Order: sequence, then structure tokens, then C-alpha cells
Amino acid sequence: MSGPRRHVIIGTGVAGNQAAHTLRQREPDGSISLLTLSALPFYNRYDLPKVFRGIHDWRGFLVDPPSHYEEQRIELRRCTRVVNVDAQRKVVVLAHNEELPYDTLLVASGGRAYLPEELSEFRDLLDGFSSFEQAMAVQRKLPQGGRVAILGGDMIGLDLARTLLDTGHRVVLFAGKFTFWPHTEPPDQRVKLLDVLERMGVQIVDAEGRGGIASIQAGAAGFATRRVVLGDGTEFPADVVLPSFGLVPSVEFMLGSGVAIERGLLVSPTLRTSDASIMAAGDVCQIWSDEHKRYRFYYGWKNVRSMGELAARNLTGEDEPFVPVQDESLHEHDGTVIHSPFWEYA
Amino acid sequence: MRTDVQIAICGSAGEGTIAAGDILRSALAAAGYRIISFDAYPAEIRGFGKCVARLRATTEQVYSLKEKSDVLVCLNDEYGIPQVGEVRDFGAVVYEAKSITTLAAGAHLSAHLRPAQIPYPVAIRELSERATGATRSRNLVALGFLAGLYGLGVDPFLRIIDAKFKNKGAIAEPNRKAFVAGQQAGSQAFKLDLVSFGQPSAGQKSTILSGNAAVVQGCLDAGIDTFFGYPITPATTIMERLAVEMPRRAKRLVQTEDEISAIAAVIGAGYTGARAATATSGPGLALMSEMLGLGTMAEVPCVIFVSQRGGPSTGIPTKTEQSDLNMAIYGSPGDAPRIVIAPTNVEGCYRCAGKAFEMAERYQSPVIVLLDLYLSNRYETVVMPAAPPFEVDGDRLASKKELGPGYRRFALTKDGVSPRALPGMVGGMHVVTGLEHNEMGRVNEQPDNHEAMSRKRHDKLLHALHHPDFTQVKRFGDEGRVAIGLLAWGSTFGECLAAMFRARTEGVRCAAMKVVMMSPFPVEAVAEFIDQCDVVLVPELNYQGQFAHLVQAQTGRTVRRYNRVIGAPMPVEEIQAQMRALLAGDERKAA
Amino acid sequence: MPTSPVYLEDKLREVRESGRMEYRSRSLPTWCPGCGYFSIVDGLPGALNEAGIQPESTVVVSGIGCSSRFPFFVNTYGFHTLHGRVLPVATGIKTANEALTVIAVGGDGDGFAIGGGHLPHAARRNVDLTYLLFDNGIYGLTKGQTSPTSALGFRTSTSPYENADPPLNPLLMVLSYGATWVGQAYAGRPQQLEALIKQAIAHRGFSYLHILSPCVTFDKTDRTYQNLGMHVTEVPAAHDPGDLGAAMRLALQVQTPALGLYYRESRATMGDGLNALAEKAMGRGARQRAA
Repeated sequence: MSGPRRHVIIGTGVAGNQAAHTLRQREPDGSISLLTLSALPFYNRYDLPKVFRGIHDWRGFLVDPPSHYEEQRIELRRCTRVVNVDAQRKVVVLAHNEELPYDTLLVASGGRAYLPEELSEFRDLLDGFSSFEQAMAVQRKLPQGGRVAILGGDMIGLDLARTLLDTGHRVVLFAGKFTFWPHTEPPDQRVKLLDVLERMGVQIVDAEGRGGIASIQAGAAGFATRRVVLGDGTEFPADVVLPSFGLVPSVEFMLGSGVAIERGLLVSPTLRTSDASIMAAGDVCQIWSDEHKRYRFYYGWKNVRSMGELAARNLTGEDEPFVPVQDESLHEHDGTVIHSPFWEYA
Repeated sequence: MRTDVQIAICGSAGEGTIAAGDILRSALAAAGYRIISFDAYPAEIRGFGKCVARLRATTEQVYSLKEKSDVLVCLNDEYGIPQVGEVRDFGAVVYEAKSITTLAAGAHLSAHLRPAQIPYPVAIRELSERATGATRSRNLVALGFLAGLYGLGVDPFLRIIDAKFKNKGAIAEPNRKAFVAGQQAGSQAFKLDLVSFGQPSAGQKSTILSGNAAVVQGCLDAGIDTFFGYPITPATTIMERLAVEMPRRAKRLVQTEDEISAIAAVIGAGYTGARAATATSGPGLALMSEMLGLGTMAEVPCVIFVSQRGGPSTGIPTKTEQSDLNMAIYGSPGDAPRIVIAPTNVEGCYRCAGKAFEMAERYQSPVIVLLDLYLSNRYETVVMPAAPPFEVDGDRLASKKELGPGYRRFALTKDGVSPRALPGMVGGMHVVTGLEHNEMGRVNEQPDNHEAMSRKRHDKLLHALHHPDFTQVKRFGDEGRVAIGLLAWGSTFGECLAAMFRARTEGVRCAAMKVVMMSPFPVEAVAEFIDQCDVVLVPELNYQGQFAHLVQAQTGRTVRRYNRVIGAPMPVEEIQAQMRALLAGDERKAA
Repeated sequence: MPTSPVYLEDKLREVRESGRMEYRSRSLPTWCPGCGYFSIVDGLPGALNEAGIQPESTVVVSGIGCSSRFPFFVNTYGFHTLHGRVLPVATGIKTANEALTVIAVGGDGDGFAIGGGHLPHAARRNVDLTYLLFDNGIYGLTKGQTSPTSALGFRTSTSPYENADPPLNPLLMVLSYGATWVGQAYAGRPQQLEALIKQAIAHRGFSYLHILSPCVTFDKTDRTYQNLGMHVTEVPAAHDPGDLGAAMRLALQVQTPALGLYYRESRATMGDGLNALAEKAMGRGARQRAA
């Protein structure tokens, strides 16, 4: 191979951002292009609840200052959507009609909020909380002491709930099988945990037991902005309704690449896909687990960061397998506090 | 809240880039912001070459454009990519979201954005097509997007769009729709940049004018009777506007066959007592030089507007420069003095234009008003006076007593100005000539006469140094002794003022002086200023330091030169760097 | 040559009573004795006097050259301009004040060498002035150089071997430029000259009178009184001055220059055009204001 290599990384979440930095350290001469849908440089999603604590300037969320990318010579391509990867020609095709050739490709596009099929028709009445723009939109809509309906209640949503309660808002959790996702706790444990949530101040509604969520309605003028309607006919008013049903990997653009995909991209323990030039890291990939004899996801900020670093190392000469760095157990303490490794960040 | 937003719109000549800039500045001016705006064009016409329309909207008085823009609107990636660097950190870049053709790696504008700049990819072409059925109105979609993004009032825009395209057939309605479509997209976009427009102050009603338009208004308000001209960039628009306005007032404008006949006709008209003018640039002024000497010798009032451009020779017709000062002051055979005044901003163009006719008449001399391309084509909001501030008839005419067989057209008077007889006045017949002549106007080669007449022609002009209601020189900044002084003329003075204000905020004691009257030269005022500065810097847009030399020759003092011939306004930061180097005593860095 | 004796006192009385002397300035002409220009300096005042045009409403404009000293020798307003620039200055004067009678005078070099570029425009615009062109086929003031109307083969200080450039045909040029009055006169026939000057001035529009005149000092071989006297003819009585083609054919007759009126046309002047423009602009403006 002649000349410096061209590395392309899709996604500037924890994995992609870490990979870019490690790659630059280990390979001073290569070109590194970091592609993202976002208009902003990297920030941690878990920090987004800070919008309720008066942090409204996105510069307060950045992990690295913008100059950092220039200093590291990492080409940050924002508002950039990948529509296809041509693994034959080794080219990434962008939605704005540009083609980016690569020597190596790291897919770190992560996961996006999952919305169950039966709720997809109410998409326009729901709010997201995955980006700065979405978080600010919710913050602007939510009145003082307003009410937030969290549907499902994955660990991300529950983390947000903690901040909402702490900042004087009300939280209604419509519990079901996604509550505490990605943890999979036995039922008795779940009951205890739900009690803790209630003691924290969350209003718990057993959606699953009451016929599931039938619909979301827009409120008439003068009434609450939204209503959550259950299968049993009961209605709950809310100012903002947030789906919190876990993540689904963002792999659509990889469908044409020929790489093996189940729900996420399938990778070896060394994070390689079925294509020699393509690796994956983070919430987008399922890693082969000898222990579990299947491909599985490893969630959590620490795991994802570790994957990013590992991918970069393996792209630059190493061949190490992924070793999870956080356990997966969820437990409560004293009946008042919940511990989850998915709430541990830096 | 203070507003200080500079917007650059970049595209090719055929994409309506300049039109978009025009609408934007007019709308913002109508909304009450102060505007200073300057566009850069290619020399070619439609479809070729890059244009950048640039404007700065403020709530407080500013004197120049900024080196960095706050917002860039890019209608054409190929031209926009080199402009991206001009946008400041946390400023906005609006660009076409999707390319029609497949681009190679790095050919899309998004590849060139710096991490601190905020991208706004907009489906401009698609919005234009959906709103109007064609892609021609992309410029208006982009404008609408800005209006929506920054919450700018839509009414001024719509009014100006309607007025601008009123007589252009079917494009008014689609342009309106395109603007509205863009505005809707902009209002829905999430604003991430740190640019914002505050409320404009409700102050006096202002007009937005270019330097050339201000010249035109000055001529009309001073009662111009005849204009003779020949097209030349960048003075042509003066003639074009006067060609529309003068006939409406039953005044006469003629396009002549060349610059020589233009100035000749102006002098002929001036001889009859009419207020006459022409407008040209460097090459035209060169052609006029012999005639200007005749104007001086025959003591005929005439006004010449000269807008300087890149030289020498044909030079760079569409770029600005300040290199015709020598020719304006000296260009003619022999000792042929004339009045030369050089405004420093658009309001100055208006005042100098009107005052030029006053001076020409009062001192019976050619008056050259020296502009430059930057000033001619620059737009500023100006508060126009309620009534025209110009004297419409200052002719010193011969009295009945003075007329008759003994009438002396060139009588040696105390102030050097002789009472004039105009053709038509009984008993005033006389011949004016380019030959040296006596008081009667008769040809005379005698040494005493030549000396006396030379003295008359020079000394009478000195009174222009005290011409009433006119700013010949003006000092700004700190009073008394200062560490560093800036001495400048023409449009460069604006950048010098900006540099001076910045230096003062850094704690430097400094002052700036503008010299408007170049000939006769205000020796005392300039010498006094230089003596109060530890060092004086003279920045100008010419290679030879023409103004610096004039200052040195006239005052006997030494100044430090800073010369650039970049075809663009002098960058404020360069003036600052020069100031710092001089203050640090760094001989190497200073010119 | 007059055929009957003339008495000095009678002549002086006639001149005094005619009022022609009002038009003569105190300065004596500086031309060489015998110069053809003298007849012109007699002819113009006579013409003005007879036409009743006052000296104070007359401006005589000249370029540079022997002929261009003219303004000093008449008692009107005068503008002695630059070499070749008489017509644009005269245009400026007339445009600024239509009430003035503007007479432009110049020589062959002034009008057809350096000034050649201005002539088509003054003519086609039909500026209402009279252009008296003194053609002596030489640059006299600078002591005898070739001019655009010098004959082929003529020897001068700058063509010591011989002039290798064929001369222009001024009448043909001016006719093609659209002048609305074109005539030719000869300094050796002063009465006809004065009559033609009067016609030229009376014409409303651009009048061009070409005046053949010898330079007695520097041209002793070609364009002398003797040669000219022998070769000049009259414009035929049958010539139709409204026929441009015929006028041009007459102009081609260079060996035997015809004297008289070549062409005459009635056409809107430049001033008329500017007035019409103003009407249009003001009319349209009024409609816009009403709209």
C-alpha cells in the first residue's frame, strides 16, 4: 500500500470519537474523516438532561473544543448522511451526492431510539431526547413543573427522569417490558425496583397490565398538550411524551455493502466484520461471544468507549479481542437508590 | 442589544448573487439597521466568474467591513468553498444540501467547514423548484431562509422584492414565493449559531446609497445643468443615473465620443456659466489632462468626478485602488493647479459632489472629486439633510461698472478671483485662451505677466482651504500628544478609524486624521498633527506612497508608509499589525 | 479685383455706418501679409452684422493654429481652446446656452488630423453651430509641416523628400457624417465667402464651410492664389443641394474645387433632441408620480 491511508469513521458518538483520537495517536500520517448526522461536534448524550439545569448553549456540552479536531487533523463532516457503502469499490456514498473512498471503514453509527410498530402512527406527537436540538425543543415546550410521560422506561429514559424530578418536573412512567432496558431482571426484582422509582417520585402506570398503550392524542387548546390513552381506556395528560424503548442499531446504509447483519453488524471479537476493510464498534454491532455462543450487544458508555479504542488499535496493527469493562447487573440499595452500570459514565 | 452581523453571499455572476445582496441590504436598511456593504464582481458578465455580495448590519456607527463574516450563504459550491474561511467561529454557513451531480471526495462544501462553524444545509434548489417550478429563484430561497432563521421581519423584504421585480414581467410572483418558502424552512431550522439580530434603534430615517448614487444626488441637489461623459468602470453608473434624472429636470446630459470631448464640452459649458460635470476613472483622467490645464489657464469652473481603480494603464478595472492622486493633483502640462477633494465615505461623496460645484464657481477652477471603486460601489445608510446644503449660485459676476471696452476678465484682485462676464452679457466680450495672457485676456509672453498670472492662479485657490461648511481635514481619537497617528485619505480612512478604535481599547494613545482637501494642501493642520504624534503611519492602496510623498513634500515632516495594492480594501488587522510594529520600534516590520 | 475706383472717405463712412467695426477687436491680426485668412476676418463680422446677431451673443471658438487665432481679432466672446478640440468645446457651449450663436473656426490640421474624431459626432448630432474650416493644406503656425489635406508629393519640413500620403477629402467626409449644411468657399473671392458665411450661420443645424486659403509663407508651389485662382469653379446652377449623392460627386472633383452650396438639409438639431428627451422624461415622470 503506497501513501498514507484514508480512514473513514461513520458516527461521532462515544465509540467513533474515541476511535478517531486513538487512531490519530497511533497513525500520525493517515487521513481520518469522521462523519455525523449532527450539526455539532461530539458531546455525550447522557449530558443532555443538563438543559433542565439552565445549560442552553451547546458549547457547554462539547467534550472537546472545535479547535481540537483541527489540531488533531481529524476531518469532521457534519450534517452528513451515509446512504450506501460500496464495499467493492471501497467507497462511502453520501446523501448529498459525494463519494468518499476509504482504505478502512469503521462503522460506529450507534443506535437510535426504538419505536414499537404499534406506536409509529403517533410519531409526530412524540418528542425525542437523543440530540441537543431535541433536548432543547423539549426544554422549551415543558412548562415550569410540567409533566413528562416516559413510555417504556429504558435506562436512558430513567436517567433523564432523575433530572426531571430534581428540577421540579413531574414524571409518569408507562412501564412494560422495556422498563430497565437493557437490563433483564427477574420479575420480583423488577417489583422492588419499581418501588424504588416510586419512592424517588416517579408515578408508575402499569401500561402492559392495562392493555398496553393504545394511542397518543394531541390535547385541545386549554387542555394538556398530550394525552396517553391505554388499552383499558384510561387517559393520562402530559406536556411531553417521550418514547423510551431502548435502541435499535442504525444499519440501513450498510444493507448494500454485503456485510453480515443480524439486528446489528456482526463482528468478530476483534471487531472485524465479514469484510476485511470494515470494522464496527459501539451500539451498532453484535460481537461474537464464545461464552454465550452467539453474537450479542454490549451496551454502556464504558464498553462502547473501550470498543472504539480497540477498533483503532486493531486498525493499526493489533489484533486484540474485546473484553467487556462493565458488569451488567442492576440493583437497588436501601430501597431508595438504583445502581446501574449504564448510569456510570466517565 | 447591539447588532453587528456581517453576511456574505457567494455565487456565480448569473445566479442572482448581487441581486440577493441588494435586496438584503435594502430590507435591513428599511428595517432600521445601519448598513455598510461592498460587493465583489468579476469583470465578465452573466454566468461567469465569482461574485461575493457582502454587507454589515449594525445598530451603531461603523466605518468598515469586518475581516470575518458572521454568515455565509453559498449558492455555488465551487465559488463558496474558498469563502468558507471568512466565516468566524460559531458563525453560520448556509449551503445547498444536495448536489445535482456526483461529486468527488472533498468537492462538497461540507468538507470544508471548520468544526466551529455551524452548517445549515438547505434544499435550496428543491425549495425553489417546488415554489416556482424553476431553480432560478434559489437566491431568494436562501434570503428567505436567513430571514426565517434570524427572525427578521418579512414585510420589508416582500416590499423590496415586489418593487425590484415590478417591471420584470413574470418573475415577481415566483420570487416572492421562493422567498416565503425559504423563510418557512428557516423558521423551522434549529438555530445553533451564535449570530443574532437585535432590535434596530428607532432613529432618524436613513437612505441607503452607494458612493456613486450619493455623487448623483449631490449633483442634482447642487443644480447641475449639464453633464458630458464617456463610459468607464467604475464611474459609468454616475452617468447612467444622471441620464435618467437630469432630463426629468429639463437638464442636459450627453454621452460624448471620448473623454477628451467630454471634458472639452464641460469646459465649454462652464464658460457659459452653467454648472457642468463629467465622471471618469484613471485612464479617462489621463486623456483629460491637457484640457484640465486649459480649464486652469482659462479660469473656467468645471467638476470632474474620478473613481480610481487598479492601475497602471488599463490595470484592473473592477478592483479598487488609490493610485491616481498624483495625476489628479499634478496631471497637466506646466504649473496647472486645480482643487482636488477626496471624500472618505458615502455621505462625504454627497457633500463633496455638491460642494465641488460651489468651489468650482467660487474659485473659477477645475475641481476634481477623487473617489475609488470601493467608495463608488459601497453602500451605506446615510441620513440625508432635510434641505440640500449647497449654494446654488456663487458666481462672482462682473458689475455694470466693470463691463465695457475696458473689461478685464483676468483682473488681478486681492483674492485672485476676477469678476466674470458670461456670454450674453453686454460689454463683457473677451477671449479666453490656453496661452499666457494679461488681465484683458490678450496673449502676453512678458516675464512679469507670467509670474503675476501664475501667482494669481495658485494663490486664489488657497482660499478653498477655508471654504465654508466643508471639512478639509479632521482629526479623530485622542487629543493632544499621542504615541501613534494614522494619516489617511479616501476610503482607506474607514479602515484606519476601525484600527484606531481597536488600538485605543488596547490602551494605546492614538489619533487618526483624514485629509479631504488634497489640493490646495492643508499644510498647517497636517504638520501640526504630525508634530503631535511620536510616529505617523500612512496606509494607502497604491504602491508608490503617493499621499505619503505629498505629505512629506508639503510639510517637510517624515511619515511611515504602508502600501498595499491588493485590489481590495486595506485589511484593518494589517493596519493594526503595522501600528504594533511601529510602537514596538521594530524597524524591520514597519514599511 | 474691383473694377471702379474707391474713395477712402467713402469707404470709411460706409464701414462706420454699417456697424461692422463693432465686430472687430482692437487687436490686429498676426497673420502674414497676403494670408487668405484676412478675408475671413472681414467676412464674419459682415455676416453677423447683416444677420443682426449681437456680438455679446456670439462665441467664436477655435483650436490651435494660424486660423485659430481668429477669436482675438473679432469683438465677440471667444474661446481659444486646444489643438483639435474646437468642436467638443463649441458643443458644450451651445448645449449649455442655446441662445448663443456659436462659430467654430479651425484649420485643416486641427479639424482633420488631431480633431478628426470629433467631427463625425458634431455633424451627426446636428449641433446648431457653424464650423468655418480654413484649409491651407499645411501646418503654418509651427512653420510648415504636412497636413492631412496636403497634396501628394508636396515638400514640407517633415516631408523633405516628398509627402507620401494622399490627402483626405474633407467635403466628402463631412457630407458622409451627416452635416446638414455643407459649402465651399475661397479666400480669393471674399464677397462670395461672406455670403456663404452668412448662409452658414443662418442655417439651423451643423453648418460646415470649407474655405480654401493659401499659405503665402510656407506654400509657394501648390496651393497658391495663382493655382487656386486657375482651378476653382462654381457649383453648377443646376445642382440640387438636397441631393446628397450629387453633393458627394461634386466633392470628388478635387482638381477643380467647386465653390458654393453643396448640400442642405433640414433636420432636428441636437438641442431639439435634448428638448424632446426632457419632454419625454418629464411626461413619463408625471405619469409615474400619478400612478
